[in-house]
Amino acid sequence: MTLSQKQIQHLYLRTGFGESPRAVQLRSSLSKRQLVEKLFKDSQSIEAITHVPYPIKNAREVKDVKMLRKILSSKKMVEETNVVWLNRMACTEAQFREKMTFFWHGHFATKIPMAYLMQEQNNTIRTHALGSFRQMLHAVSKDPAMLLFLNNQQNRKQRPNENFAREVMELFTLGEGNGYTENDIKEAGRAFTGWRVNRLGKFEMDHETHDGGLKTIFGRTGNFDGSDVIDMLLEKRQTANYICRKLYRFLISHKENAQFIEQMTDVFYESDYSIEELLRYMLMSDEFFAERNIGVRIASPTELLVRYLRLFKLKFKRDRIIIGAQKALGQVLLLPPNVAGWSEQNDWIDSSSLLYRMRLPLVLFGNFEMILEGKQDPEEPELSKAERALLQWRKPEADWSELFKVDMPNEESALIDQLLGMLIQSRTDSIDRSSLMRSIDGSSRENRIMSLATHIMALPEFQLI
Amino acid sequence: MKTGRRDFLRIGSFATASLMIPQMLTSSKLYDPRKNAKSVVVIQLTGGNDGLNTVVPFRNDIYYRNRPKLAISKNEVLPLDDELGLHPSLSGLQEVFRNGDMSIVNGVGYPEPNRSHFRSMDIWQTASDHDRILGTGWLGRLIDLQSDPAPYNALEIDEALSLALKGERMKGLAFKDPERLYSQLQEPFIQATARSVNHDHVHDEVGYLRKTLAETASSVDYLYERSKVYSSRIDYPQTSLGKGLKTIAELIVAESDTMVYYISHAGFDTHVGQDAKHRKVLGQYDEAVSAFIKDLKKNRKFDDVLILTFSEFGRRVSQNANGGTDHGAASNVFLMGGKLNRPGVFNEMPSLSDLDNGDLRYTVDFRSVYSTILERWLDQPSRDVLGQWFAPLPIV
Repeated sequence: MTLSQKQIQHLYLRTGFGESPRAVQLRSSLSKRQLVEKLFKDSQSIEAITHVPYPIKNAREVKDVKMLRKILSSKKMVEETNVVWLNRMACTEAQFREKMTFFWHGHFATKIPMAYLMQEQNNTIRTHALGSFRQMLHAVSKDPAMLLFLNNQQNRKQRPNENFAREVMELFTLGEGNGYTENDIKEAGRAFTGWRVNRLGKFEMDHETHDGGLKTIFGRTGNFDGSDVIDMLLEKRQTANYICRKLYRFLISHKENAQFIEQMTDVFYESDYSIEELLRYMLMSDEFFAERNIGVRIASPTELLVRYLRLFKLKFKRDRIIIGAQKALGQVLLLPPNVAGWSEQNDWIDSSSLLYRMRLPLVLFGNFEMILEGKQDPEEPELSKAERALLQWRKPEADWSELFKVDMPNEESALIDQLLGMLIQSRTDSIDRSSLMRSIDGSSRENRIMSLATHIMALPEFQLI
Repeated sequence: MKTGRRDFLRIGSFATASLMIPQMLTSSKLYDPRKNAKSVVVIQLTGGNDGLNTVVPFRNDIYYRNRPKLAISKNEVLPLDDELGLHPSLSGLQEVFRNGDMSIVNGVGYPEPNRSHFRSMDIWQTASDHDRILGTGWLGRLIDLQSDPAPYNALEIDEALSLALKGERMKGLAFKDPERLYSQLQEPFIQATARSVNHDHVHDEVGYLRKTLAETASSVDYLYERSKVYSSRIDYPQTSLGKGLKTIAELIVAESDTMVYYISHAGFDTHVGQDAKHRKVLGQYDEAVSAFIKDLKKNRKFDDVLILTFSEFGRRVSQNANGGTDHGAASNVFLMGGKLNRPGVFNEMPSLSDLDNGDLRYTVDFRSVYSTILERWLDQPSRDVLGQWFAPLPIV
């Protein structure tokens, strides 16, 4: 079975960050199965991000975790890693792996200013992004950035801290209020006592502060530790259901289809949490490609920015500009707002952010300027004039060749149809074609395509993927 | 929110009507200013303002013992009463206080205080319990309650909109300069797209984006028109807070139909070398607010305005080893306006000896301050905004 152009675009926008019109054309003869298998094949390799080197040179010099925190602290390095990842998303062939790494990054949202540990967590998530959710959950529960972020360092037998135990149930597995009690959290908190980061930034189980006593969790009593709790959570079908709902919203539609999510849950639970099997089931379904589910997701700021970066191979003179754009649009990689991760769909859009999104392509490709900065960082003093000047807009380099290589009609109305078909996934009857017509610079074939494409990307409808 | 617009909106469904508004802009009658409308201006001090060096307990030995290097000396303090005085950079505020236009609420916070800037700011902006994460802000939910809300009902002077002004149904509008905002919409294609006659009634994602765009365009026009009404001649400082408050004053004087104005002033995260930094940022705050109040008074609008100043947390009682202070908990908030019932120092400062992990214990839940503003100033049902009942304070 072959797919329509729109369906192929849909596949790539949802499982990655979009492919060029030319790439879509080249693959139009492949069957659905071939396309889906290619996605997995292209994402087989797992390439870690290694931007931040392990910062401890002399282990003896690091006396304690407090000192470790100091050594690792670098907001600048976190920003650099952010840009490295963003560019990776844009350039890699392993689109599906990076897209799913992005999904799990929002799911296991962590924010600490320690670049090395954030990078390591990102690599851990990337390793399991298409693999086993069971293994990923176990790995994340022992992840240094996570343990520091959710205060498990302070979770000791004498003075338990339930923060991690609570979030594991509330946000990572069962979902808020779904099948656990306050007492389950308290007892699970005891099971995670002693799970901590050592002075070298690695996980360790500290037997002295671990509570080895009996705990009663979900009605069972035993000498449980953290791993036991994770396994108990995975035993509950509710965990599979919670993850499937979230994935449905991420990959298919904000409007949940409970019946289909039940089928997904069966696949996920019965495969012992194989993410690949679940994803393959979703992508091979009619549900995924149904017309009602195409062009209905509001692209998150990351998805929007990477789509531009990928399609036009954008190169910015200064990283600060792309960080500024993330801030202004409301999503900065490696800096989620809180443990619950980013919001979804309509929450991305307010008057200011919509206007910003519409001006973005005009700025990227036209002759407009825009100050790309977001909110003031609470830990920084206000920018001086000189610092502000550093943020000064410089147009990025853009490569239009992928678009120029596609056959396109000269006749303007037909050109509008073709470019709308390539760039807009939603319905297009809301679009005023006469103002598109007026935006065309007809001085050459290239200018015609560039001017029209730029303005199509400035439409509200372009925000929908 | 105002009769003209409400009557107009009754004609059609909400979606259709709001999409038609842009074309109606030529008749400025639509935007009859609200009469005797009250507004609240929120000034957020970002970074965690050191409340103890802002309102100084200058008779308290514990204060001086804990801050051998950082304490404000008795002879530098600007006294408010026998026990408390303001930081020397706040001379303008001392005058406001003496005029009976300021109320200081001490020990404002919440249980189980969070010492992360981001988390604590979210708690303040969403008015959530310390262990709950909410997706909407308290001022956004306030606007949601209004019949026919519009983005310009809640304005923020910033590049991006704070969570505080995001409601479920309606979100506020953020901008730095109404003129620049207006010119952005003048770009021919954006203009054409925003104004294109659209009979799109479909309640889908495209409809949502188009509706937001139409509301944005009408709000931008409205604000631009309002911003032309009055141009302040008061001398404001050339800081971003100064410029922002000037914009706010101009809109208030022009009787913009805006219930909430929001602006932030940053630079309060004083871990290192606090003294000079704190003097600078407090001084900027003092100058800008003084000019703002002067402007409002001159235009007889100060009686219609309530200014709230808060920060996400105070700082530890003890100074640290770097001539600064680290993240703390409860702190003071200021309420200013021409119509205060109970100006002055509202309550006692929390004990400096009975501390919670080195920090002041809160004595007033911050949501009581919010309910004060909602119930007693704006005449709004605070329970619908805050989700629970917090007794308002008899300040306004």
